[in-house]
Amino acid sequence: MAQSKLKILILDDEPIVCKRLKPSLEKQGFEVDTFTRSFEALQAVQNTKYDIIITDLKMEGMDGMRFLQEAKKIHPDSEVIVITGFATMETAKESFKKGVFDFIAKPFNLSEIQRVVMRVEAKIRGTQG
Amino acid sequence: MFTGFLQHLWQRLFKPKEELVSFTEVFEHFQELLQDQQKVMEIIADLGEKSGGDYIFDRKYLTDTVNELHARMLHLVKDLNLISFNRYPDLYSALDRIFLPLEGEMRGRLSLSEEMPLVVSLEKTPRDHPELVGGKAAALGEIIQRLHLPVPPGFVITTRAHRRFLEHNHLEERIHALLSAWLSGQADRAQTSRQIQYSILAGVIPQEVAREIRREAQARPFWAVRSSAFGEDGELSFAGLHESILQVPAAGVLEAVKRVWASLYSPEALTYRRQVGLLGEEAAMAVLCQEVIASRASGVVHSLNLEAPESDALVVYAYPGLGRMVMEGRASLDRFVVERRQPFHLKVKDIALKESYRRVAPGGGEEEVLVSPEERERPALADEDIQTLAGWSRILERYFKRPQETEWALDEKGRIWILQSRRLTSPQSLEAPDICDSCSTYPVLIKDQGAVAHAGVGAGPVFVVSSDQDLERFPEGAVLVTRYTAPWLAPVVPKAVAIVAERGSPAGHLATISREFRVPTLVGVENAVALLPAGEDITVDTHNRLIYQGRVAELLRYELIQSTAFEDALEFRLLRRLLKRIAPLNLTEPQDQNFTPEGCRSVHDVIRFVHEKAVQELMDLPRFLKRFKEARVCTLVSEVPIGLKIWDLGGGVDPEARGTQITVAQIRSLPLQALWEGVTLPGVWSTEPVAVDFKGMMSSLTRTLGNGFGAPDYRGINLAVVTETYLNLHLKLGYHYNLIDVRMEADPNRNHIYFRFVGGVTDLTRRSRRARLLADILSKYHFKVDIKGDLVLARILHLPQEEMRRRLIALGQLVGFTRQLDMQLKSDEDVGHFLEAFVQRLEPAGDSPSPQGGKDGTEQVKNSHPGR
Repeated sequence: MAQSKLKILILDDEPIVCKRLKPSLEKQGFEVDTFTRSFEALQAVQNTKYDIIITDLKMEGMDGMRFLQEAKKIHPDSEVIVITGFATMETAKESFKKGVFDFIAKPFNLSEIQRVVMRVEAKIRGTQG
Repeated sequence: MFTGFLQHLWQRLFKPKEELVSFTEVFEHFQELLQDQQKVMEIIADLGEKSGGDYIFDRKYLTDTVNELHARMLHLVKDLNLISFNRYPDLYSALDRIFLPLEGEMRGRLSLSEEMPLVVSLEKTPRDHPELVGGKAAALGEIIQRLHLPVPPGFVITTRAHRRFLEHNHLEERIHALLSAWLSGQADRAQTSRQIQYSILAGVIPQEVAREIRREAQARPFWAVRSSAFGEDGELSFAGLHESILQVPAAGVLEAVKRVWASLYSPEALTYRRQVGLLGEEAAMAVLCQEVIASRASGVVHSLNLEAPESDALVVYAYPGLGRMVMEGRASLDRFVVERRQPFHLKVKDIALKESYRRVAPGGGEEEVLVSPEERERPALADEDIQTLAGWSRILERYFKRPQETEWALDEKGRIWILQSRRLTSPQSLEAPDICDSCSTYPVLIKDQGAVAHAGVGAGPVFVVSSDQDLERFPEGAVLVTRYTAPWLAPVVPKAVAIVAERGSPAGHLATISREFRVPTLVGVENAVALLPAGEDITVDTHNRLIYQGRVAELLRYELIQSTAFEDALEFRLLRRLLKRIAPLNLTEPQDQNFTPEGCRSVHDVIRFVHEKAVQELMDLPRFLKRFKEARVCTLVSEVPIGLKIWDLGGGVDPEARGTQITVAQIRSLPLQALWEGVTLPGVWSTEPVAVDFKGMMSSLTRTLGNGFGAPDYRGINLAVVTETYLNLHLKLGYHYNLIDVRMEADPNRNHIYFRFVGGVTDLTRRSRRARLLADILSKYHFKVDIKGDLVLARILHLPQEEMRRRLIALGQLVGFTRQLDMQLKSDEDVGHFLEAFVQRLEPAGDSPSPQGGKDGTEQVKNSHPGR
């Protein structure tokens, strides 16, 4: 593994989601930062380029849909994965329209998200190399 | 008498008009009821699965699920009351009794409720309530209740009792005012501490609390009285900040408890709580009282050698006499470095030079004694005791998932006791190895197979269990590999470092047990027995569903030094507490006294009760017939002579059929066709009388007599209610009672088979054996099976028609096969033989009863509906 680690940002207002996802993705070989507030996450996006963004949709303050739009404005090639408990076709459609890579309904199991992240990784590495 | 008469009159006057509800309507409600019931059972299974750590869920999921459960249960109870003409209004209060506390749990206010004890013995500390009993007592409770390791007896004065004390003495406002004064600089720390502590010591312990403390305290002459504080996630360490008082006479416990409470406000504790930002929080502290062990030696075990964390060793520290010398670090201790694996080979033995030690003084209290010159270099602990401690340390670490620091004491009789166990904190943060690279150097034996029942990593030698005898030989710390997931495996689960089962689902029995004991478990791993080499080390990593050859030391270490174990996260504790009010089945026998709405203690109980009563309502055939005169009921003429009545609600029987009898060929109902195909296969329905031995016979006699009154008599009534795609079948064969409910449509998502089997001649042991056999056979067909005593509940969902047909044929065979089976199951081994016999006799050669996972749709369908 000579390649540099990809950076992942996780945003979910429920700390348990961040707490569980972070070690699992780190173990897969990613560098992971987690946030429970969207404005803090947005600040981080302004300072750092994250290759992959994993975000919840429904949150206090700025919701996930706005956050991912803002984040995409700053780094258009960041790939976004939406995780949400409010899984309706409408939200799924809308997020795909916003250029989201994939959409996962909560609760999901670890291998589900691992698979999606691996697909994103393949896409990113593919376009780079 | 007179009230009885009045009641009777009342009932006669206000008896609901049964004729008003048509049968079709009753039947619709019954169907709705079955669907709700199925959905609720799915939700329960789902919640169980989520508690295994493989899923990421949040609080919202829990709230939504509890709300959905509540709505479904209300609907269910309403349907039963519609069917039964309002015979069970008390079920609404049963639901309230279950759901009000559930909602209380969701709001996090339950530890204050009346339901929680003020004082509780260690053996009875409720699980998953560290905020009630504190971290120390909660851990000891688990060590006693789950791990069955020796812990000195004791009791806990809960945080609820502490709050009661504060309220009783109006201390909260006073403490708040004094703290504010300190924070704003108007008072200094010493003064603040003194004033608060004085107020607490001057407080009066309310009667109901004092009474309970006295009752527990009089059991022994002396107690050790300690704080048991609770820091969220167990991450805050209050170690040493709060008071511990040893050798407290029983009569002095009340005063000692106040001193421990007061120690929350010692100057040091004030500074610490201010630093970690806890000062504003409500300070509630549980107090633990434990029997004092007059120890010959004492010490601690570190399950990981902090000086060389990668060395795969643990360290036992020991010193003669009472533990104070050890805890206060006043003496240099014997130090034994032991390999972390069995047989716990001793690697280093550093014996300290001892000058003096402390012991219990003859008249109470402690005294310091000089060590005689010849004793100075004698080890404080014998080799076999070191081994015992090493074994325990590993068990504790395995259960609590993090390196442990365990205090122990060796008493005068040579018994070792665990005084407390907590997470071992390292002075410098341990470096997490980069495991992506290192893991890839180990050969992988199995990859991406099976489903996660409990998440985690475990390594040890493979031990295959295929019979009861294997159970007895199962070694501590092995990986349990098995073809089965039957409940009889339960005794070895706590000894296993990991479990790999060829069958089963994360909602099944083995999964539930493995979660209870926190054993990393993969189920449904095809060919595991053949692929995993017996006796050799493997490493099971459920996070990536990988099984490595050998011990992947880097991975094991990585797991150990992570932050919080998921099992201890707030949400998981909450989920387990919810499950405790939802999943257990306490009501089994409809004949039991407590089989009433009042007897329902969980959601599952209500389901069971409602189902039983709904079926009863439907099975009351005379009333039934009266209600629905135009019903088209005919009798099936078949080589299997059970006089099955068929009630066609439309499309279930050839419209050309005339008269009251129909032939098998005239059945149009798809599920009944398939089932009957199984029943009538050659050799299934034995017409010969079954051999009954004397014991079975006697038991059958008593049961028959005992059943004579009270229980509804269904004898002889075998009824199938059908449509083209639906079957609801009640079979009363001998003393077995089968219910089979099937929907079999073109859209797999609407399909289900629900199977329920209960009763039978002979004693309960044999009936349970039969239940086990049924469960084993049904699991082979990927049914989700629950057994409780001799009740078997099995269900399977969302299969395409052809798969449904296959299973119905099998069910038909099973019904015939087990007709009087309990007579023949004389020993537990017979279960295995009959299982083989069933599979061999009834399966055409080469057709495995359980095709590869997913091929028949079960796993796939499940996965395509994440969560709900």
